[in-house]
Amino acid sequence: MAAKYENAIKQPGRLSPRVKWLRDYYFEGKTRKWNNEYNAYTTGTPWDTQFDELTYFIVPENYSFLLTFVQSFKQMAEVVEMDDEFWKKPLVERKAEFTKKCVVERLPMEILPGDLLCGARFNMIYSMCLTEKQQKDRDKRVNAARKSMKFLFDHGYGNSGATSGHLIPNYKKILNKGFRAEHEHLESLYAELTDAEKNGPRGAQLRAMMTACTMPKELAEKYSAFCKKQAEKCKDETRKQELLRMAEITAKVPWNPAENFYEAVQSLWLTHMLVMSDEKYPGPGVSFGRIDQYLYPYYKKSIEEGMSEDFMKEILGCFWFHCNTAYDAVIRVGNQGITAGFGQLLTLSGMGRNGEDLTNDLTYLILDVIDDMSPILEPKPNVRLHKGSPEKLLNKVVDMISTSQGAPFLLNFDERSMAGMMREAKYANGRITLENVCEYAPVGCLENTMVGNDRSGTVDNNLNLLKALELVYANGKDMEPYQDAMGGKPTKLTQDGPKTGTLKELDTWEKFYEAYKKQTAYIVKKMVDNYELSESIRADYNPTPYLSTLVSGCAEKGLDVTQGGAEISFVTMEGVTFATTVDSLLAVKYLVYDKKECTLEELVKALRANWEGYEVLQAKAQFRAPKYGRDDDEADAMAQEVMRFWSDEVWKYKTKSTGRQFRPGMLSWNYWIGSSYILKASANGRKHPQFLSNAICPSNGADVNGPTSNANSVGTALGGKREHGDFGEYVNYLPNGASHTITFNTSLIRDPAHKEKFKSFIKGYIENGGTALQINILDPDVLRDAQAHPQDYRHLLVRITGYNAYFVTVGKELQDEIIARESHKGY
Amino acid sequence: MRVLDIQRMSTEDGPGLRTTVFLKGCPLACQWCHNPESISPKPHVEWIGVRCIGCRTCVHVCPQKGITLDEAGVHTSETCVACGTCALECPTGALELKGEEMSEEQLFNTLMKDRAYWGKDGGVTFSGGEATLQWKALLPLLEKLKAAGVHTAVDTCGLAKREVFEALLPVTDLFLYDLKIYDPEAHRRFTGQDNQLIFENFEYLVQSGARIWVRTPVIPGATDTDENIRSLASVIRDRVEKWELCAFNNLCRDKYERLGKTWEFASAGLMPKARMEALTALAVNSGAPEAMWSGATARETE
Repeated sequence: MAAKYENAIKQPGRLSPRVKWLRDYYFEGKTRKWNNEYNAYTTGTPWDTQFDELTYFIVPENYSFLLTFVQSFKQMAEVVEMDDEFWKKPLVERKAEFTKKCVVERLPMEILPGDLLCGARFNMIYSMCLTEKQQKDRDKRVNAARKSMKFLFDHGYGNSGATSGHLIPNYKKILNKGFRAEHEHLESLYAELTDAEKNGPRGAQLRAMMTACTMPKELAEKYSAFCKKQAEKCKDETRKQELLRMAEITAKVPWNPAENFYEAVQSLWLTHMLVMSDEKYPGPGVSFGRIDQYLYPYYKKSIEEGMSEDFMKEILGCFWFHCNTAYDAVIRVGNQGITAGFGQLLTLSGMGRNGEDLTNDLTYLILDVIDDMSPILEPKPNVRLHKGSPEKLLNKVVDMISTSQGAPFLLNFDERSMAGMMREAKYANGRITLENVCEYAPVGCLENTMVGNDRSGTVDNNLNLLKALELVYANGKDMEPYQDAMGGKPTKLTQDGPKTGTLKELDTWEKFYEAYKKQTAYIVKKMVDNYELSESIRADYNPTPYLSTLVSGCAEKGLDVTQGGAEISFVTMEGVTFATTVDSLLAVKYLVYDKKECTLEELVKALRANWEGYEVLQAKAQFRAPKYGRDDDEADAMAQEVMRFWSDEVWKYKTKSTGRQFRPGMLSWNYWIGSSYILKASANGRKHPQFLSNAICPSNGADVNGPTSNANSVGTALGGKREHGDFGEYVNYLPNGASHTITFNTSLIRDPAHKEKFKSFIKGYIENGGTALQINILDPDVLRDAQAHPQDYRHLLVRITGYNAYFVTVGKELQDEIIARESHKGY
Repeated sequence: MRVLDIQRMSTEDGPGLRTTVFLKGCPLACQWCHNPESISPKPHVEWIGVRCIGCRTCVHVCPQKGITLDEAGVHTSETCVACGTCALECPTGALELKGEEMSEEQLFNTLMKDRAYWGKDGGVTFSGGEATLQWKALLPLLEKLKAAGVHTAVDTCGLAKREVFEALLPVTDLFLYDLKIYDPEAHRRFTGQDNQLIFENFEYLVQSGARIWVRTPVIPGATDTDENIRSLASVIRDRVEKWELCAFNNLCRDKYERLGKTWEFASAGLMPKARMEALTALAVNSGAPEAMWSGATARETE
């Protein structure tokens, strides 16, 4: 590392020796003696499988390994013998019992030096618990689903699959009342069932959930005994007392209500960790919700009882450590950067029921912990801002942004987000109202959902909007025959989409746009149909009774969360390539219909030639045609119209097997990079395989008027403001929210006066911008140095798509992209 | 109004976040000028070499047949009337027409798009060129902005008739006032104009109670002498809110190249940090307590 960059990377703050040791130990990575690598367990039947590939259908870079994964876990799995009675029970009960047995009896039990929290290992992969007949049926259906999913991906539509996690369990309920209360609730519901119901799926579901409730109890009790034993052996008196205290706490929670801050955090961790072992990689996005709100009563009580804030920070430091050990699942393949986020999001601050601000002392304490612990990946903090956010909070946020390489958190914007949530309220069975919509929180990266009763499948469908234009250019067919990269023969072109007219027939802009709309309707439907395959397999064969106990609605309906048991049950379709699509439409209109620079046939010819030989036309598409992202009224009106149309299409569908309503969003994870190799050149002047646009961000380099115009365009695309909006005057077509990243130069926050200016920008964003903003503050010279000397920059965090990753672990193309994005010099 | 450029989210032209309008035309011709394209009041065509793909569209479309293209790039001739045809047809935007006429309404609407970001401190700054050259068109716009509750600032070199400042005073919340060189002879030599009126207008604004930030470009070999700073301090004293000594930079070299002009300061380096600090201390010790400095300085390690 060049000497002048030595201070460029954020250093951790004041950490207690115990937390510092745990943090350093975590970063030792695979050289550590202890880790949280997967343990795999099987029932031992010859047909048994453990690895659920459905959950990887949205991770294209893993497609080639799916079958390998299935086989590897099969080979490594330890046999857990189950008796004959076991096989007579319904699947959901088998699942609950098997999981519990593995967790309580088989998962190794450890306490790390100085650790204040019990619950170390949780990464596990365990038996599907299927009978031979069930497994055969599942395998057959998975094969068909995989084939459909592969078609979607190979032909540029995107990807889709029933994916784990991505919700906020009702942790507050467990903290306040304990699993015991949940168990009693289930018992009383069960008692009310008729005999026929008891013998049917409802009874089985409730029995399985009761079993699941006792799993954390028995694990905690085991930890309690373990702590006692460790204490007996411990020579250090202070540590001995700590261990005895841990023994007391785990004898109590999470079965019983927590009664102070320490008990609450322990209860939260054990409860959460078991969700993580159920939901697994990839990036299960099991999030904590408004942690500064539901932990606040415990914080207050403990302060009154004399617990110091420093001790609370130590407890939280241990909590931070444990959240990060989720990554040990993939410890042997190294840190996979952007493909390895676990998305354990925690939410701070935000608006209350009467529009009041809910920032409290615990908010600031947690912000201090974030500041002290960062740079580190998990848990991922999210700060909710609104018009009434206090100056003190905004100052803290700006200070933290200026001392890290970017915000160590994502900013979420209440008014715009809540407008989106109100838009979905009419499909939410009365569970979302103007009164309670403020209680929303983001999951995973930035996807807005309600808390404790909502599963909205926020990453399950990822649609390349640009595919619709390719289908228009070829009258409902692919532009080129698909050819497998491993040397397959080109497949025949087929009429996949509707016939929307030959290029000659599309002789007016109106006709062209009609064709685009028809193809968009087709690709949305195509994705919905594909999703049904994996969703129905999961509903039939992958119950998660433990998670179901933590999602309101499942017990009452007697339905697993995988079967649509949640009170609020959506599936999200994320639109990818938005700006590329909008800019391409704008370019077609400008070049072909308005300026008549070329005919549509000529334009499509140029795209087929990847613009080669058409450089002048390409330049006009790039530099003369209007673009979204620069606060140009005409272009942004087009963006809003595209948004309105595609989101309306999404609202038309529900899953058949589980009755979950589709809803729209815009998170592109890393798909905007991967899909750029599949989709052809685009009419906005982009050559193949230059990157597509990311989430709701303008195309790279298009936002020539700076961050304020960029933010205005994003707000307009989401619906802007109207006299009667969805929430106040705010309109938001995307209830899930939309990922927006802006990178600023370090000079913007160089002194207190400039920090004030930056705060002013954030306040303006609350008024005009989108639902969520990821801020990068990067010096491009530092990034180039990091590219050249990755060994010196292991801890350099950058944020992409509301997603954080270590810069040196992401691919070269993405690194270049981040450097290119560092484009707001002089601001 | 002939607008050279609009910079949104400007952080360097007054308090808070601002939108800065650069107007075309300046009565001075400072040799170190950072915006040489702003000096002429007439619109002009500018060629930005890195964008050019050499397609010759401009050569073909110029109604004057006045554009040539050779290995060094695109050249416009003396016959250019800035009709803008080439800029309109250029596929890459390598040719730009600078100083296009914008109506008051158009400008007002564009500016107001950033209203949410200005906050309580920020607003609109009119700069240049020299904003007061177009004062008759500027006045109603300033009035309109004031009426809408927008904070207004005018960045001026001070060389305008008294009546101009009298008219601007009620609708301008802040003057960013340039005082460059105290010595009249040196001022004439480096800027082409006498400085008497500039100091008189400054006195007028001070006496009228205007909010003023003085800016002095610190230019090696021109304005950076102890004597100049001491003399300016004796005029400024403690009568302004802020006196900013702006360190010279040579980032505008390529602008001169684009304009086909040679620039005396092209090879002048950045000011050393120690020198900027010394000059600021000198200013403060000479009775101007609000003096501070800004800008990039030479890296000490290199």
